[in-house]
Amino acid sequence: MTPRIPVADGDADTAEIAAYERDRRALLRRGFALGGAAIAASSVPLLLTARDAFAKATGDAAILERAITLEQVAVVAYDTALGGDLLSPPALRSARRFRGHEQQHADTLKTALTDLGGVPPAPPTGLADVDKVVKGLGDVKTQAEVVNVLIELELATVAAYHDAQAKLIEARLMQSFATIMANEGQHLVVLRTIVGAKPVPNAFETGTT
Amino acid sequence: MDIDGFLRDPQSRRNFFQRAGVMVGATGGSAMFLAACGNDGTTTPSVVTGPDESDQADVEILNGALDLELMAVAFYKAGAARLRGSVLDIGKLFLEQEQEHADGLAAAIEDVGGTANRPKSSYDFPVLRTQADVLRFAVDLENTAIAAYIDALPKLTQGDLRATASGIITNEAEHVAVLLDTLGSDPVPAAFVTGKAS
Repeated sequence: MTPRIPVADGDADTAEIAAYERDRRALLRRGFALGGAAIAASSVPLLLTARDAFAKATGDAAILERAITLEQVAVVAYDTALGGDLLSPPALRSARRFRGHEQQHADTLKTALTDLGGVPPAPPTGLADVDKVVKGLGDVKTQAEVVNVLIELELATVAAYHDAQAKLIEARLMQSFATIMANEGQHLVVLRTIVGAKPVPNAFETGTT
Repeated sequence: MDIDGFLRDPQSRRNFFQRAGVMVGATGGSAMFLAACGNDGTTTPSVVTGPDESDQADVEILNGALDLELMAVAFYKAGAARLRGSVLDIGKLFLEQEQEHADGLAAAIEDVGGTANRPKSSYDFPVLRTQADVLRFAVDLENTAIAAYIDALPKLTQGDLRATASGIITNEAEHVAVLLDTLGSDPVPAAFVTGKAS
């Protein structure tokens, strides 16, 4: 089978993407064989209380509001990563796609909230709002540091969706949350691979490290 | 039947997963666990004694999920013979993780007084001649599991079981990403992972 290099929504040079794809797959396989490289402790941002994002939310509307905020924070975080000059073109491409996914999640959740008669929360305005979930995006100096912040943010989001399952009332929201949580898990596979971490470290992906 | 025929033929897929305890809808989309499908395809009660009504409903759903996980374990064991090098390492890891899912589901079933289903004596997998055949079938199997779990999720009465199921769904989605990547495909093709063709 000829490896397919998806370039549909990217503007990166095809040769660079091809090289990145080769490296990424080699890294992925090496990660499975060797157990993955440890992430330097200094590059791991401080995970704040995102696990409790829904702890005080009662009722589906309140949980949706928190989820929308979390997704919008993710959009801002990816925008910040995309606006810097630290990501390689292939990593930029992944970040651009994942930013689009987070926006789709936010839009879908807003529709669900509106259907319940709620009003979507105001979007976050910048890094200060990202810092409320994960700290460090304003201080990153390398691609690995950027990606590690994004990993922490994705983990926080997964953890929040995981915890929400026990609180939601509406069946369709349980299912929507699961489809989003699973997508965040797939983002984690790609992001972990970029920094040389184990792509799938746990049989139960609950957002814990 | 070889893997190409199997993947192209919706009826073959439905028949296969139905025998394994999963019913895939006529469109190949929605899926549900068949609660009462016991070992070796025989219809036997999943619960012997103990659980109250809501627990019994959960036990039936969990046993449907367990059937699928046990099939995945059997598949990754059988498929390992076609895998090499780093791809074999992937297969071994996923085998271990599917076994962890099965063990966790069996424990949850027994915690509420149910009886966990046992593995079937054999599974009628399609012919898998190459490493790519194994990977492609694995994608199909993982996606089928995701769709079945998502369908079953709201039917679970206990919140902590729903949370655990969501952790399994996400792990299966991560498997899909790795498998797609290994096949040279986009590892994250859509913003919402439903287990259905996108």
